[in-house]
Amino acid sequence: MFNILSILAKYIFVFIIYMFIFLIIRMIYLDINQLSIEKNLNGAYLKLLNRLDDLQYKLKDSYSIADEITLGRSNDNDIVIKSPYVSKHHFKIVKDEREFYIEDLNSSNGTYINGERIYDARKLKKGDIIKVGELEFMFMDMN
Amino acid sequence: MSDIERKRILKVVSIMAFLNIILIFYLTYFQIFQAENIKQNPYNKRLWADEQEIIRGSFYDRNNNVLAYSIIGENDNIERVYKYDYLYSHIIGYSFREYGKAGLEKTYNSSLIGNTNTIDINNIKNLIGNERQGNDIVLTIDHDIQQKSRELLLGKKGSIITMNPKTGEIYSMVSMPDFNVNNLANEWENIIENPNSPLLNRATQGLYPPGSTFKIVTALSSLQNDSTDTDYICTGSIIVDGYRINDYDGKNHGNVGLEDAFIESCNTYFAEASLRLGHDKILETAENFYFNKKIQFDLDLKQSSFPTNDMTKTELAASGIGQGRILVTPLEMLMVTSAIANDGNIVKPHLVSKILSYKGDVIETRSIEILNNVGNYNDVKKIQDMMIDAVRIGTGKNAKLRDITVAGKTGTAENSSGLDHAWFVGYAPAENPKIAVVVLLEEEGATGGRSAAPIAKDLIEFSLQKLN
Amino acid sequence: MKLINFKTARNLLFIFEIISLSLIFLYNWPNIEINTIYLSLGLIALVYVSNVILLKLSKGDNYIFLIVCMLMSIGIIMIYRIDPNLGIRQLQWLYIGIISFFITYIFFKFYNKWDKHFELYLAISYILFFSTLFFGLRTNGSLRWINIGGLSFQPSELIKIIFVFILACIYSGKAFSANSKFDKHKEIITLGIVYSFIAILFIQRNLGASIVFFAIYAGIQYIYTQNLKYTIYNLVLFTFGGFAGYFIFDHVRIRFITWLNPWEFIDTIGYQITQSLFAIAEGGFFGTGIGRGRPNFIPLSYNDFIFSAIIEEMGILTGIGIIMLYLIFVYRGFKIALKQEEMFYRIISIGISLLFGVQTFIIIGGVIKLIPLTGLTLPFISYGGTSIVTSFIALGFLQGASEKDLNGGSQNE
Repeated sequence: MFNILSILAKYIFVFIIYMFIFLIIRMIYLDINQLSIEKNLNGAYLKLLNRLDDLQYKLKDSYSIADEITLGRSNDNDIVIKSPYVSKHHFKIVKDEREFYIEDLNSSNGTYINGERIYDARKLKKGDIIKVGELEFMFMDMN
Repeated sequence: MSDIERKRILKVVSIMAFLNIILIFYLTYFQIFQAENIKQNPYNKRLWADEQEIIRGSFYDRNNNVLAYSIIGENDNIERVYKYDYLYSHIIGYSFREYGKAGLEKTYNSSLIGNTNTIDINNIKNLIGNERQGNDIVLTIDHDIQQKSRELLLGKKGSIITMNPKTGEIYSMVSMPDFNVNNLANEWENIIENPNSPLLNRATQGLYPPGSTFKIVTALSSLQNDSTDTDYICTGSIIVDGYRINDYDGKNHGNVGLEDAFIESCNTYFAEASLRLGHDKILETAENFYFNKKIQFDLDLKQSSFPTNDMTKTELAASGIGQGRILVTPLEMLMVTSAIANDGNIVKPHLVSKILSYKGDVIETRSIEILNNVGNYNDVKKIQDMMIDAVRIGTGKNAKLRDITVAGKTGTAENSSGLDHAWFVGYAPAENPKIAVVVLLEEEGATGGRSAAPIAKDLIEFSLQKLN
Repeated sequence: MKLINFKTARNLLFIFEIISLSLIFLYNWPNIEINTIYLSLGLIALVYVSNVILLKLSKGDNYIFLIVCMLMSIGIIMIYRIDPNLGIRQLQWLYIGIISFFITYIFFKFYNKWDKHFELYLAISYILFFSTLFFGLRTNGSLRWINIGGLSFQPSELIKIIFVFILACIYSGKAFSANSKFDKHKEIITLGIVYSFIAILFIQRNLGASIVFFAIYAGIQYIYTQNLKYTIYNLVLFTFGGFAGYFIFDHVRIRFITWLNPWEFIDTIGYQITQSLFAIAEGGFFGTGIGRGRPNFIPLSYNDFIFSAIIEEMGILTGIGIIMLYLIFVYRGFKIALKQEEMFYRIISIGISLLFGVQTFIIIGGVIKLIPLTGLTLPFISYGGTSIVTSFIALGFLQGASEKDLNGGSQNE
């Protein structure tokens, strides 16, 4: 009885090991793909700090900001987040003379910059961490 | 990070990747090209480890007479018992830790220890049962015919094989000299040093010029290519490019056609015939008979050859009568004969008929396998008639039986030893062939008709009685 | 799409462990203590939880630990199959290893003065080396072990990691104050230090380790030296040293001869390698299946020759899989280096990647007779406490280096 199981198992083992390798290579490949997208960003952008796998909804790794960007649950936003903790229109970031300002749009759960809740427009600097619900973005500005 | 640093890091990464890829390639190479050889190294303890735990399967003949088996002896050691000292030394061979393996013991080793690679139900049953018992092998050999064959060859050097020409089942196969498998320990040195090479299985490993038996091929080729000379005058010898080709004892056959030339085995006629046919035509016919081709056989089988490269005119003339550079195994000549007996169909010869699990379930069986058709019925029928006449009134008279029509062809092959090899190939009963036989007497120094044909006669008579 | 994520990979690992464990218990049935079952189930749980925690805890590389878990699982199964007693001990070492990994990782992450202790690293290395020379135990002709309080360990395994730190200090410019006398001659000084190490390893007959030390040095030197002529000097010197060693030391010559033609010495000095080749040949593509081969015929099958044992029972397809896993692992190590902005940590990542990469190449190449055989362990797979624990410590450093000061230091500090 053991013999037959052992013979079956050896095929299963080879299958699992190669499946495992395939998965890892595939994930690394996706990672690198995302890195190269990141490289193309040369203005200001928001970088998602959460791990994509942990999220139940679709998100990109980073969002570049041209002149204005809005975030919220409804579909007319630039960044749409289908999370119960995010308001329909949560915040927006606008550009004014090379500077970027973030403004909370009276969201129910609030917008936090570096752990501090904001109530009005606030200037962003490179490396600021923006927290919305369970999501964290880092503000990056390459200029 | 500077560009130069990045570049160099990438170079080092590439070297590491390269090294790993070499490992992968080498492992694959090793497994495909070297592993099989290395596994067979006698120092590989695995070869014998299994056998200490597995009761090796037995060998049976076609009538279920046991020929070899294993028992648990003293100290729980598994011992191999060969029931007959000499009789099966070339067929079954031996399996001893000290001397390795030979014969079917070698080629069927994995079946005998129960490791068939095919996944079938019985194999799985075996695995589940966790039984440490190998599979049994049933041969196509008839023990009595085998014994008779050996008796007839005793004291001579050469080989005898009998086979069912329609199914390819080999009834007997002996090669002389042989050796005592139960006494290898005492005789090993002698066996190895004996100039007559008793270890050599002449039936499958010996290569000989076929002599006049090859005229079967030349004659068929002539018929197929409409290249027969009905009005040839034999003067006892011809000269091709300065070389003289003689008839046996310089006998002058006079005015002969193909039939007379075949029956009387007229060399000059067939030498002329092959010159007329040309190299390509004979080669084609020979290859239809499986010359120059690999045949899967239960034992290691040497390939019989008909020259494929350019031949001189003399060589071409000589090859028409089975001399020159043609080399055949006795088994090949038996296949040629069987093809004629079987109306043109060559069947694949085999020694093993069934593999049985230790419980008696059939794991593998052999069925008839037709390798090729050598020619149309009319041409083959003419050869059959000529072979019948060769025994009735020609060179093969010594193979004649009173109640049974025997068909056959004799051969006397010149070779470098100075003593001719004597050949006889034939089958019987000619109307409905049940047995085909080849007798080769190595360096016998006599004609096939005189020395080999009487042996064939006795054997055919005995075998047909036994088989009926 | 959703199937390609860490959860699937983690689950595959989990399934592999469960199946192989059940099989191995069935194989040894009924000679299994209940403790062993708890211990191994505990390890599976620990591996699973560690992967989950690490994914949450570390924003750095997520692949290396997962890969190592797979390698380690294959190793422990094979060791347990060869010898259950060693298997149980290896199980315990793996617990210690994983815990060491986390401790190292956290310690490395939060302590920031690793580049300030060049002299200390050097001192510890020499102390360990000389204590092996003077108090060491000789096994199989080589002097590798020392015994501390009843626990024996191989200092050279630990020194390998410290050695990476020494090189990192030197080449990131932290070892000597700028423009000092030392700094001008730092290539020569480094050469002196490295070759003193290699010489000691040679005397201890630890050839494999001396090659690993050299390869780490050569790799880092090639990347960071201002002047490539030093790398060339180094290569010439090592080659020359190799030749000299061949003529001076019997043990070097023997390894070379047995590599060229082991079959001639099958009963004596070629015994190990030929037994290894028999095992590999026996395995074929899928192996005999666990418990159905005879890896016990290979000497040291649980240690240096574990790769051959794995191939015999799990096939060269698994063997190739293992090589690929190491390749991805080393690639990730270098990737960490490329992302790392601080030179010191970059060199640490490169050094540790080289350490694992070279060591696996030398031992796998050795047991399959691609290159001469030198005794080394297969990291994370071979049996041995020192090897397992130091490998996990090195892995901890690598994991730490993957997230040190990412994004200009704004994230973690």
